[in-house]
Amino acid sequence: MSGPTLLLMQSAITGFASRGIVAIAIAYFLIVAAIATWATRRTRSASDFFVAGAGVGLWTLAIAKMAATLSGFAFIGGPGLVYTIGIGAVFIILPGAVSNALGAWVLAKRMRLLGEARGLFTVPDAIGARYRSRLAQGLAAAAVLIAVVGYIATNLLALGLVIDAIFGTGLSLGIWIGTAVILAYSVAGGILAGIYTDVFQGSVMACASAIVFAFALKSGGGMSNLSHTIMAADADFLGPWGRIGPIAAISFFFVFGVGSLGQPHVVHKFYMLRDPRQLKWYPLLMTVALAVTQLLYVSVGVAMKGLVMSGDIAPLAKADQATPQFLLHYTPTIVAGLVFSGVAAAIMATVNSFMSVGAAALTHDLPIAFGRRVQDELKWGRITTVVLALVSAGVAQVSGTLVAFLGIFGWGLFGSTIVPALAIGLNWDGATRAGAIASIATGLGVTLVGETLGYFKVYGLPTGVSVSALALVSSLLVFFAVSWLTRETASAIDADIRLVMDA
Amino acid sequence: MKRVLIRLLVASCCLVALSYAAVFAGARDDWAPWTLAIGANGVIVSLMAIGAVRHDTLPRSLVWTFIGLFVLCAGAFLAALALPAAEGANGPLLFGLPLRTAIVLYGVGVVPIFILPFAYALTFESSTLSAGDLERVRAAYAAVRATREAA
Repeated sequence: MSGPTLLLMQSAITGFASRGIVAIAIAYFLIVAAIATWATRRTRSASDFFVAGAGVGLWTLAIAKMAATLSGFAFIGGPGLVYTIGIGAVFIILPGAVSNALGAWVLAKRMRLLGEARGLFTVPDAIGARYRSRLAQGLAAAAVLIAVVGYIATNLLALGLVIDAIFGTGLSLGIWIGTAVILAYSVAGGILAGIYTDVFQGSVMACASAIVFAFALKSGGGMSNLSHTIMAADADFLGPWGRIGPIAAISFFFVFGVGSLGQPHVVHKFYMLRDPRQLKWYPLLMTVALAVTQLLYVSVGVAMKGLVMSGDIAPLAKADQATPQFLLHYTPTIVAGLVFSGVAAAIMATVNSFMSVGAAALTHDLPIAFGRRVQDELKWGRITTVVLALVSAGVAQVSGTLVAFLGIFGWGLFGSTIVPALAIGLNWDGATRAGAIASIATGLGVTLVGETLGYFKVYGLPTGVSVSALALVSSLLVFFAVSWLTRETASAIDADIRLVMDA
Repeated sequence: MKRVLIRLLVASCCLVALSYAAVFAGARDDWAPWTLAIGANGVIVSLMAIGAVRHDTLPRSLVWTFIGLFVLCAGAFLAALALPAAEGANGPLLFGLPLRTAIVLYGVGVVPIFILPFAYALTFESSTLSAGDLERVRAAYAAVRATREAA
């Protein structure tokens, strides 16, 4: 979500904040605080802080991963995008049906066993171990850090808006309050607190989404009625590619499907599973949880379009008002309160995970890349979490457009820098150190240069082509080409890493 | 087996790149969406199959699962590209959505939910990680660690 659209969302929400919503929000924050306090007492080591002591069960893992995957975009920006471009926006979440099984086959077992064999914390750790390369680990950590600051800033801005809308604090204070709440449990309890609050938050998100889905279908008289109403006035909206055409829609599917293997805040949670044999039912749990929680994304955008077309409601001034306006007109207060808690939950869960991977990049991966080890990683993990949060909150305060710029390329940057080196590298012994380094550098270069040129309007890509898709396919091809050119070095793999790859 | 799948993955990436090159060259409405649909699904399915390979083999049940998945997903995209647009006022609906849209959304976004998680779970013991596999891997770790410490 961009700064200006977030501001419009704020005004839309503020209009119907009520005592009921405030009460539900206060209850929600109190429950989060109680869970965080409990989890904080169990955080005694860097392993607890960064990977929850590798002691998490399957249900907890699946719900926490789902909560970390979905940010506030799934509740506000996403339905607004569906309202604007129609079915084309659904291609962002469509890969969810295959991406969890993809992650299970490609990464889950190997990441979990790698964590056990080497005691690894982070995704750059795994890349460094696979290629015996501090440079590859450092480059991956730099990419993670760049994307993380933008992601956190974007989400803190959105959280500030939600807090302001519910409690009337003003945006600036709302950002600092939101930052303080997340920091309180992230610094004290690290990812351990994050994981257990995520279970509660993920459950709130899923319930909110399922309930709103039912209200959305009811409001339009069922899916068939909605379709007929929309098709009569705007056939392209419900066409297979929406208003964006097949190239852009299929590109969404490609970037969000393949890119799911490179999201460090989601992938690193495989390290945390207590028993690797529990992975058996991971794809089923994760896929169902994700599918239920994404029902709101599709249904509200389509329902609002149908309601506007049938004249039941005035056209929206801005697309991001789709969810707030729908809640205002078509759901009881308690449901609205639940959804706003769901939005806050989605944002907080995502920010906590980003803080964890960002702090680990600063205190663990980058020092290793420079040949050093931090002595007390737990203490420095807490300090860098605070620094990262304050820098991101500062960025969120300074400029909405800068935040939007930083937030745009996060997913693409993660995908293009991490997927080839990690996901393919852990499954193919023909991958080389040079191939990994070249692909990470390519992903970084194409994403940063492409997005910067686009942001300053120096150069625009043809319609339908995105920088993220170009960066991803470029880094994949560079990875294969350089690995092939340097194939004589492909056998340089440590014995325990080879065990994991062959397991 | 893995070598074949890596070649499929590279070929799929090349198809995706070719599609974007065609868009840059102005051929976006001709064949670019078709090659992009085949390439994008080829990348995802070949990655999945590469991850499932063990000891350079893939169980027959998974081979057919992955072939079926590719046919289903790529086929849904291609059907939507090939069928004439009929999303007008009284166009046909399938489960509440226009026909072409329903083929893509249900074919790619819903049907795999009922196949892939179960394919993973049902082949987990035999093809991913049995209790015996885990014991063997842990014993091998211990041996590697002991060798390293001795050295």
